[in-house]
Amino acid sequence: MPLKNTCIVSGAQTKFGKLDGVTLREMFTEAVDKATVGAGIDKKDIQAAFIGTFIPEMLIHQGHTAPLLLDYAGLKGLPATRHEAACASGATALRAAIMAIESGFYDTVLVAGAEKMTSVSTNRVTEALAAAADDEFESSLGLTFPGVFAIAAVAHMEKYGTTEEDMARVAVKAHDNASTNPLAQFQKPVSLEKAMTPRYVAWPLKLFDCSPISDGAAAMVLTSTEKAKEYTDLPIKVVGTGQASASMNLSDRGELTSFEATVSAGRRAYDMAGLGPKDMDFAVVHDCFTIAEIIASEDLGFFEPGQGAAAVKDGITARDGDKPINPMGGLKAVGHPVGATGVKQAVVVYKELMGDAGPNQVDKNETGIVHNFGGTGATCVVNIMRRADA
Amino acid sequence: MSEKPTIEQYKQNIEEGDFQAYKCVGCGTIKAIPTGSCYSCGGNEMEWARVSGKGNLVSFTVIHVAPEEFQDEAPYIVAIVELEEGTRVSARLVGFDPLKPEEIKLSIPLRLEYEKGSSGRTYLSFRPV
Repeated sequence: MPLKNTCIVSGAQTKFGKLDGVTLREMFTEAVDKATVGAGIDKKDIQAAFIGTFIPEMLIHQGHTAPLLLDYAGLKGLPATRHEAACASGATALRAAIMAIESGFYDTVLVAGAEKMTSVSTNRVTEALAAAADDEFESSLGLTFPGVFAIAAVAHMEKYGTTEEDMARVAVKAHDNASTNPLAQFQKPVSLEKAMTPRYVAWPLKLFDCSPISDGAAAMVLTSTEKAKEYTDLPIKVVGTGQASASMNLSDRGELTSFEATVSAGRRAYDMAGLGPKDMDFAVVHDCFTIAEIIASEDLGFFEPGQGAAAVKDGITARDGDKPINPMGGLKAVGHPVGATGVKQAVVVYKELMGDAGPNQVDKNETGIVHNFGGTGATCVVNIMRRADA
Repeated sequence: MSEKPTIEQYKQNIEEGDFQAYKCVGCGTIKAIPTGSCYSCGGNEMEWARVSGKGNLVSFTVIHVAPEEFQDEAPYIVAIVELEEGTRVSARLVGFDPLKPEEIKLSIPLRLEYEKGSSGRTYLSFRPV
């Protein structure tokens, strides 16, 4: 049965990138203010907050972020819980909020995510991100986060003939889309030749295959169908949600060319919504690495296994293609402040559905799907959203 | 061996060059990485299992940008290896030039050994037969 009660009535993000001189609570507050008072929603209406942050303990020596951030944003006193699922922290916060509204427990809640990553060295960030993998049996070998996706890429290349150039095309598309997104970290197109620059991070993944280290925050307000009328004539409905987990360790997975948590979370979301891959007008997927977008496009059923790379090459996933993927530039070019990402992705779907995506607007925008992925696919959340008039 | 395996002992075994896997007492399934419950039958009683050390290469990567602790070793190869016993493990891959990854073919037969890293750790590692 499709969800009945959950509506999105606002969504916003800060600029993503190296935000010098802006601390975690300041960027969080900027996003919250844009999504509340900036959208005509009184902060007094918010009854609870669901917050995504990944690893501020290692990055800025700060735990217990939910009350800290709420206090600064003028929401002191509300029930506030931090959700952590590595890069899927934001979407697990969103899903908890969806369940809270759907159950009737709350009418109006805030979902927000933030991460401050650029105030420490790249090595320190690499080490912190590795905490999203199995520390005792993967990270202890010196296996990094890009390394795990590189292992998946090598398996995909071997099985389906995917090439380094195919992956580079995902980066070129991301940069093209982000070039008209004023909130993106990178706003310049890159050529295929440049994306192929052989600066290896974890062979065969090169610098341009990897999402950057970023600061940023995103926020949205969810409310019940009944209350939504007070805020807007056209709420966005959440019609399906799915979440799944898988083994942390890649060695414990049967398949390296597909992520089972994506397949499973996707199936649950589709079943709940009563919709299928063909009904999705566009998609926002977790492209932490270029290969991740290719595999997600297959795992979510848009293309047959092994056909994801060809779809990019043929322009099917371009903003003006038949199945636009990451029309505002994805993690790859917009940036990836880990705890903010899952919320930001949902904000992108919201904006596209509202017809509010400016030069990044997709043509068909009745139904959109968002896929957020934690670690190396050990957590996956998929949500399907629809315009109320669709 | 009848003692109950522990992760601490598992890691100690690798450090001493004496790798042993986990084995489900209930159904005999062998798992190269410690687990609290059997993937096959759900049983939670484990024992140690010696493995042949023979396996083949499932996939790999060459790490160029490494965490601080491993920086002196980069570039190095990390692989997923399927053991003859039907279980997989992550390990270092040696016997290849990390700067010529295109020369490494998947599915090739490998043999278990150990590598002492400059990080001070002993890694489970594999070399082509």
